[in-house]
Amino acid sequence: MFDYTEKIREIARRLLQEKKVDGIIGFKKGTIPMMNQPVFITSPDRVELLHWDSWCGVNLANYLPKREGRIGIVAKGCDTRSIVVLSQENQVQRDQLYIIGVPCRGMLDRRKVWEVVGSTDVKGIEEGNGKVRVWGNGFDLKLERSELLQNNCVICVHRNPVVFDELVADEVEEQSVDRYGDIRNIEAMSSDEKWNLFQEIFSRCIRCYACRNACPFCYCPQCFVDESRPQWVGKTIDRTDTLTFHLLRAFHMAGRCTDCGACERACPVGIPVRLLTKKLEKDVKELYGYEAGVQLDERPPLDTYKPDDPEDFIK
Amino acid sequence: MADWMEQVREEARKLLQEGYDGVLGFRFRAGQIGPYLFRTPEEIDHLEVDTRIPTQMPPLFSQIQEGVPKYNLAKTLRLILRKRPDMRIGAVLRGCEVRAIRALQEKGEIDASNLKIINLVCPPEQAAICNCEKPSYDVFKCTGCWSCIEACPEDAITRINVCPILSPSEYNEGLSYRKAIYIKYPQGVPLKAVRDAETCLKITGKLDCKGCERVCQAEAIFHDDEEKIEELNVGSVILAPGFRSFDPKAFDVYLYSNHPNVITSLEFERLLAASGPTMGHVVRLSDHKEPKKIAWFQCVGSRDINRCDNGYCSAVCCMYAIKQAVIAKEHVGKDLDTAIFFMDMRTHGKDFERYYEKAREEHGVRFIRSRVHSVEVVSGTDQLEITYVTDDGSVSQERFDLVVLSVGLEITDEIRDLAKRIGVELNQNGFCNFSAFKPVATNRPGVYVCGAFQGPKDIPQSVMEASAAAADAGALLSPVRGSLIKEREFPPQVNVVNEPPRVGVFICHCGINIAGMVDVQAVKDFAKTLPYVEYVADNLYTCSQDTQALMREAIKEHNLNRVVVAACTPRTHEPLFQETLEAAGLNKYLFEMANIRNQDSWVHDDPEAATKKAKDLVRMAVAKAALLKPLDEPELSVNQEALVVGGGVAGMTAAKSLADQGFKVHLVERSSRLGGAALKLNSAWTGEKVEDFVRELVSDVEAHPNISIYLSSEIESVDGFVGNFRTVIKNGAGSKEINHGVAILAVGGKEYKPTEYGYGTDPRILTHLEMDELLKNGDARIKDAKCVVFIQCVGSREPERPYCSRVCCTHTLVSALEIKEKNPECSVFVLYRDMRSYGEREELYQKAREKGVIFIRFDRDRKPIVSSENGSIKIEVVDHVLQRPVALTPDLLVLASAIVPGDFEKIAQFFKVPLNEDGFFVEAHAKLRPVDFATDGVYVCGLAHYPKSIDESIAQAKAAAARAVTVLSKETVRFAGTVAVTDQRLCSSCGTCVNICPFSAPSFNDKGKAEVNPALCKGCGLCVASCRSGAIQLLGFDDAEIFSMIECA
Amino acid sequence: MAEWEPKILAFLCNWCSYGAADLAGVSRLKQPPNIRIIRIPCSGRMNPKFILQALRKGADGVWVSGCHPGDCHYIEGNYYARRKFALFKNLLEYVGIEPERLHFSWISSAEATKFAAVAKDVVESVKKVGPSSRLIKREAEVE
Repeated sequence: MFDYTEKIREIARRLLQEKKVDGIIGFKKGTIPMMNQPVFITSPDRVELLHWDSWCGVNLANYLPKREGRIGIVAKGCDTRSIVVLSQENQVQRDQLYIIGVPCRGMLDRRKVWEVVGSTDVKGIEEGNGKVRVWGNGFDLKLERSELLQNNCVICVHRNPVVFDELVADEVEEQSVDRYGDIRNIEAMSSDEKWNLFQEIFSRCIRCYACRNACPFCYCPQCFVDESRPQWVGKTIDRTDTLTFHLLRAFHMAGRCTDCGACERACPVGIPVRLLTKKLEKDVKELYGYEAGVQLDERPPLDTYKPDDPEDFIK
Repeated sequence: MADWMEQVREEARKLLQEGYDGVLGFRFRAGQIGPYLFRTPEEIDHLEVDTRIPTQMPPLFSQIQEGVPKYNLAKTLRLILRKRPDMRIGAVLRGCEVRAIRALQEKGEIDASNLKIINLVCPPEQAAICNCEKPSYDVFKCTGCWSCIEACPEDAITRINVCPILSPSEYNEGLSYRKAIYIKYPQGVPLKAVRDAETCLKITGKLDCKGCERVCQAEAIFHDDEEKIEELNVGSVILAPGFRSFDPKAFDVYLYSNHPNVITSLEFERLLAASGPTMGHVVRLSDHKEPKKIAWFQCVGSRDINRCDNGYCSAVCCMYAIKQAVIAKEHVGKDLDTAIFFMDMRTHGKDFERYYEKAREEHGVRFIRSRVHSVEVVSGTDQLEITYVTDDGSVSQERFDLVVLSVGLEITDEIRDLAKRIGVELNQNGFCNFSAFKPVATNRPGVYVCGAFQGPKDIPQSVMEASAAAADAGALLSPVRGSLIKEREFPPQVNVVNEPPRVGVFICHCGINIAGMVDVQAVKDFAKTLPYVEYVADNLYTCSQDTQALMREAIKEHNLNRVVVAACTPRTHEPLFQETLEAAGLNKYLFEMANIRNQDSWVHDDPEAATKKAKDLVRMAVAKAALLKPLDEPELSVNQEALVVGGGVAGMTAAKSLADQGFKVHLVERSSRLGGAALKLNSAWTGEKVEDFVRELVSDVEAHPNISIYLSSEIESVDGFVGNFRTVIKNGAGSKEINHGVAILAVGGKEYKPTEYGYGTDPRILTHLEMDELLKNGDARIKDAKCVVFIQCVGSREPERPYCSRVCCTHTLVSALEIKEKNPECSVFVLYRDMRSYGEREELYQKAREKGVIFIRFDRDRKPIVSSENGSIKIEVVDHVLQRPVALTPDLLVLASAIVPGDFEKIAQFFKVPLNEDGFFVEAHAKLRPVDFATDGVYVCGLAHYPKSIDESIAQAKAAAARAVTVLSKETVRFAGTVAVTDQRLCSSCGTCVNICPFSAPSFNDKGKAEVNPALCKGCGLCVASCRSGAIQLLGFDDAEIFSMIECA
Repeated sequence: MAEWEPKILAFLCNWCSYGAADLAGVSRLKQPPNIRIIRIPCSGRMNPKFILQALRKGADGVWVSGCHPGDCHYIEGNYYARRKFALFKNLLEYVGIEPERLHFSWISSAEATKFAAVAKDVVESVKKVGPSSRLIKREAEVE
């Protein structure tokens, strides 16, 4: 995957030199391990900044809404799906973009590394042949790459970009996995068990809204939690208000969320926010046969209907 | 007389002798059975005690036939005991009534300690009829749950129980009963009681009964009201007297008169209805049990000149039978076996063929092509055995639990009389005479006709004709349009915007309707404690004229700026109170209602709970009222000109109708001449020649001073909305912008060019229109032909085009008859799937058979095979009667090819109107709004809507004109205040609202933010609920208002 | 102490179910007194947050009723609503709101009997799970 970096730079240089785009959104290497940073490059001289490795999990589509001009963007499968949703939703025009598609084998989760090595003080990390070597103060370990994948990447079924103008490499093989095992486990629980589970999960929430801010689709000028006429959701960490926020935010993601994992990656207290969005994703797929961000010319599922949509729950 | 009856009487006598004040029982009076309080031992001879009902009678009729009605004495007894608790009385009661009385006593409603019950044990057959689970009364077992009373199917649904008279309910086809004072049906408009002058004891003078007068607190009963004759001066009369369904009593083979399980389709319709006698529960009448098998017989009283005189097809029965079968399955369950016995399945309406396919394929309704020979009772059961003959002549039998006769439509003698008095000519069937080119005109100028009186037809067709008749009357009366209108005047509105809310609450007693269950005083006291409430009043009837005056005064005196009325329902009364607000200078949107009658006092029987609920409802209403804002009703000027797209018969007719009604019309036609598809037609089904008519219509349109014609022109863009459209049209000479207030889309349809049956390979294989050309020109090939064959359903009713083209069967009949007339020796064959000569077109079918046209039926999977053999056309088809192949070698083969829509995509997008799967335009409502679109100010007519005959096209075109005039006739349009508005700062431009609004009200402005056009918004709130960023609010139902109600509930 | 009675909020479309409730009144069809009706112009107006807010404010059950598919006064509001309801109901149940508290129906303005029957059904169903305790917003700290 490291060799993607050169290819990305090459494409970026060409695009900028030929003035095909006004700028390129990509990643630069972070100053500390496992923390690459988004970067916006407007000059061909600076393309050497661009970098690609397994720590490019951030969804760059988040930087697109309301951006003007021609933009090149480095995008993984999930990022391109977000781009599709954003263009369905009028936040960006497809023809405004030059999508540099990156076939992806999954991004790695620094929290998993920290957990395995038992420390957050990682001095260096490198990978090859499906292994990851991590070293730091008093440890130097060789780990299985597959053990360190982000949770959303483990069950990803769209590793290859769904729209692109150019690919940096050949497409990778798609995984065939069961995306909803954990959801089904919860569904099978009693109401009491479910309630207790989610009370426990969300009791950690500090209402920092990192999940919202990281999400490419939370672009509303004002979030419903900030509504003041009437102000109906409290802003404290009251349990009901917290759950209200998470439920409605998840509902707002229905048929839109591409499971890029940005919310969970951003959460400072490790709440598995995707448990809610994935439930909606599952229902949308099962009820309406729709998958978010795959078809540019399709309308999101709540923007349309079929006369014979399932309605067993209606008396 | 049985001993036990005498025993009961003896007991009753004994009570009276013991000094009881009376005994309640049944007695015949004035030819009616009713409750009676026997006061002396002598009277007891008249006490009726036999509650048995002869079993051969349909039990739902039992009340109204001879025999003792199962009148519920508990109700009468309750009244007596409540009014005169001191009286010592006896009562002759059945078990269910005793349980009711005990229940009432437990609830504390009555004191029954002075009551002596003479108990009647119901005979088992009565119990079976009532579905009574506790036929005999056992005081130890009964829990007093009341459910026996609730379950009793014969419990009167009418609310006016004081009237002692029972008559069969017309609304329920005699399947239930009503009183002599009654409300026709619960959804009647206006919802007012009427008295039956024929049976009312007071009116007929049989008895000085004043029951209704005593209970009516509104003092609405006049006993000495008299019939008045009024004279009206009018410029035009529209006849819409409707029809009667055929009475099958005379058809003894179907046992309608003799067996309760043979009913008419209209009776079955009532059984299916939620508001019907069984509340939608499907039962067979002999035992009130759910049937397992139901049969429908088609063409009862239609297409029949042997047993009745109705040779015509009633046009609606096939479709309603299918509908009934499907709904019956929904009500009873999938396992219900439904079979429709028919001759030809006539599903010629828009989307009907699909429904038919679905009924057969998905719902499993059986369709049996046959003629029913007889119906016999299977002895010892309530089942009926049907003997029928199928296509191939074989005789079969099958048993059913219920037989529904699909009765046709016919004209009554009263209607014939009416026509005679008015001087309107009728045809031999009693339907009004008309010309295909003037479908709603009668022979008498100024008198128009619509609906089934013009010919048997379904709802959409009737609605179109109704509007068409209005258009014709409108053209006649256009010089005096608006001259009788009086404008209402209201005082200027008080500005309340910056005032704190001052809410006035008016609580209605509604006589005893509310006050009988809800403690109005308690609600009043409670309302006074609510925030912002300044004034509270209670009124006997808040809707009365006096109260309106009081309300106006209270608003002024107490400076009220919000009003809440706690009474009945806003669905009927909101406009009245809003008008009172306006009269008092308040904006009408500063009003809110609490529904404490329909949704409270009427549906609860616990006064405490009902009062508590009323308080909650008032609190919710006050909370919302405090947040209400005065709303503007935007007014926009209307451009009083119309655009008609399409210069065929429909377009020209619409244009001419509008022009005749005094409006300027722009008529745009894509081709270089007016006339459209009709230019190629030979004659209408009435036999009238189309060519002459079209020529005349074209010259009328060309000469009309109000019509501008644009030939060879196409629409390039459309902008704007109802009242203010701007359309750019383009032709060779350039572009032109037309401003108009409405648009009528009459873009036509065309004949399908077949790819099947060898079309195009042989000049002797023609389509209908090509045949018409030969007929019009008197082509020699017709005179010389020895054999002509027609093949039906070419390109219609096929998987790729699953609709019936409606006109082809009739077209074939008209052409076949003309061929026979010009060349009687020529043998004419029609190969068909179902002959769909609906309505009076059936007579053409009859005539064609008389003239020797031979009809051979085929199925879709056994189509005729056309080939060429030795230079002649050879057709092979299997004869449906003989089940043997037949070979024909015609000189001419006519393919009855489908009517297909043009390419309407672009124009549909221009006007933001939808197309269906087949490519035809989709009207706003298939039945009730057949020429409107959901988009205001745009209408459809002619073939672009669906295939139809020329008379139907003309009627629809006039209907479209009439609908358009509802907009054009006003200089301004006023829109409701309850519309969606966007907050630009909150809009995220996601486009959801723009995409989902069925009325295209939201759009992006030049800043890319959504804006809602109040002229297009209908106030449904769909966009509001779908907007994630909360940028849209619905005035009158905004989030804050709904949240306040949630909080106060 | 008196037997506990649930409080149920019903959001009814003005054109159908609200009319059915009125008609049930005209037909005197008895119903349990636990339901408080809020009239909305169309089931399409029903924002899922109203359901949340009802539960937050202590409603023991919520019932939303609109027009049968194909009968929407606004052509297709109920079709869009149906999708929202399906997903939101599933989501609430998924986090542990008892399914017995959430009810949806299509009731035409003529179906008074259906209205009364569903009303009974809704109340019985809510009674089965007892008073609501989840998602209620406690106001104690405001004192």
